[in-house]
Amino acid sequence: MKFSQTAQIPVAREPLWNFLMDVPKVAKSLPGVESVSKIDDTTYEGALAVRVGPIKLNLQGKIILEEQNKDAWRAALRAEAKDRMAAGAVNGKTSMTLKELGANETELLVETDVNILGKIGEFGQPIIRKKADAMLKEFVENIKKQLTGK
Amino acid sequence: MIPFEYRTPKNLKEVNATLQEFGSDAKLIAGGTALVIMMKQRLVRPSCLVSLRSVRGLNAIELKNGGISIGGLATHREVEGSSLIRRRLPMLAETYHHVATLRIRNMATVGGGLAHADPNQDPPPSLIALSATIKATSVNGSRMIPLDEFFKDYYESVLAQDEIITEVMVPKLAPNTGAAYIKFLPRTADDYATVSAAAVLTLDKTKKTIADVRIALGSVGVTPIRATAAEAVLRGQPLKADGFAEAGEKAKEAVDPVSDFRGSAAYRPSRAGKSPGGHSSAIES
Repeated sequence: MKFSQTAQIPVAREPLWNFLMDVPKVAKSLPGVESVSKIDDTTYEGALAVRVGPIKLNLQGKIILEEQNKDAWRAALRAEAKDRMAAGAVNGKTSMTLKELGANETELLVETDVNILGKIGEFGQPIIRKKADAMLKEFVENIKKQLTGK
Repeated sequence: MIPFEYRTPKNLKEVNATLQEFGSDAKLIAGGTALVIMMKQRLVRPSCLVSLRSVRGLNAIELKNGGISIGGLATHREVEGSSLIRRRLPMLAETYHHVATLRIRNMATVGGGLAHADPNQDPPPSLIALSATIKATSVNGSRMIPLDEFFKDYYESVLAQDEIITEVMVPKLAPNTGAAYIKFLPRTADDYATVSAAAVLTLDKTKKTIADVRIALGSVGVTPIRATAAEAVLRGQPLKADGFAEAGEKAKEAVDPVSDFRGSAAYRPSRAGKSPGGHSSAIES
């Protein structure tokens, strides 16, 4: 499933870019991320807990940074995660592009292509889009707090 | 299989005490039609199942303060077949008749279905249109929650972890009131709806003007949705087709559907807009 989201962040493009390229820091701003550790320069390992109604998923997996192009202000990453108990996995690709809107205003464009496999997909597929919107919103709020102190 | 504790309290007091003891790891199980599937898929993994099978006295369907009281443990089949409900609220009996298959309706309970908070179910839109209220009970006592304030998110309600739905209250219908529930099904009769709609419409004394109306939609968002803007368009208006068409447009604006294999997000609003029109004829006839 593919979808794109945008958010406006009241931070200049350069510091926002630097922040977004710091994977462990970014991960901490993502709701539900429990841990992230670096394996090598482009690979990270982490755990994410997601709750949808009565269902709690504990996803464990890898994040691989595939593209980091500061000239185009574009970065892309791939994530592969599995739930330990429920039969299912999540594989996704996300790209982020930063567009300068003003001296202290940047637009973040996030394009995601995600597949949810197995039983969790059957339940979760219809809701993933809405959950993703809620997560991005919270993520942006967290970034704002960290970068502007508000 | 993942091991879990299994408790069989004998009355409401024991149920409440067990829920308090296990906290968020306990799940109530009545008919089990939804929970067992989720447990088999390992989506839900409670450490304790609190069976309601031995709890007596929570399945009555009776007249109360002019309205109808349905016990939380009454099965869908009991509502569907209740002579009291068939006589007073035929639309509610019909709604429960539309739920899945007979085998499911024999097991699934009214309270359990609502607590499951699946936005695609049949009873919530009808019960919301009928102004139903639920009674939730915990060790700390009971509270009444209007059903249109009960659903919070996808499979989430305002019910606290230690609460159990003990009763659903449906108030008496005003004179000159008609009610209908329709379900749009592209596949089999026992499936979830692509879109469902319930409406309860009251005419004034002249029987020409709409005194009050409540419209609720199912399967068009993360929770059942009450189409308040569509209601406002109709309230106080003469009973005419254009009014219903306009209400249909308003209903489209109220929905926020999720795509699944029963219909895309783009397709569902057009169905939702059509539904109130279908109701008008059901009420007039």
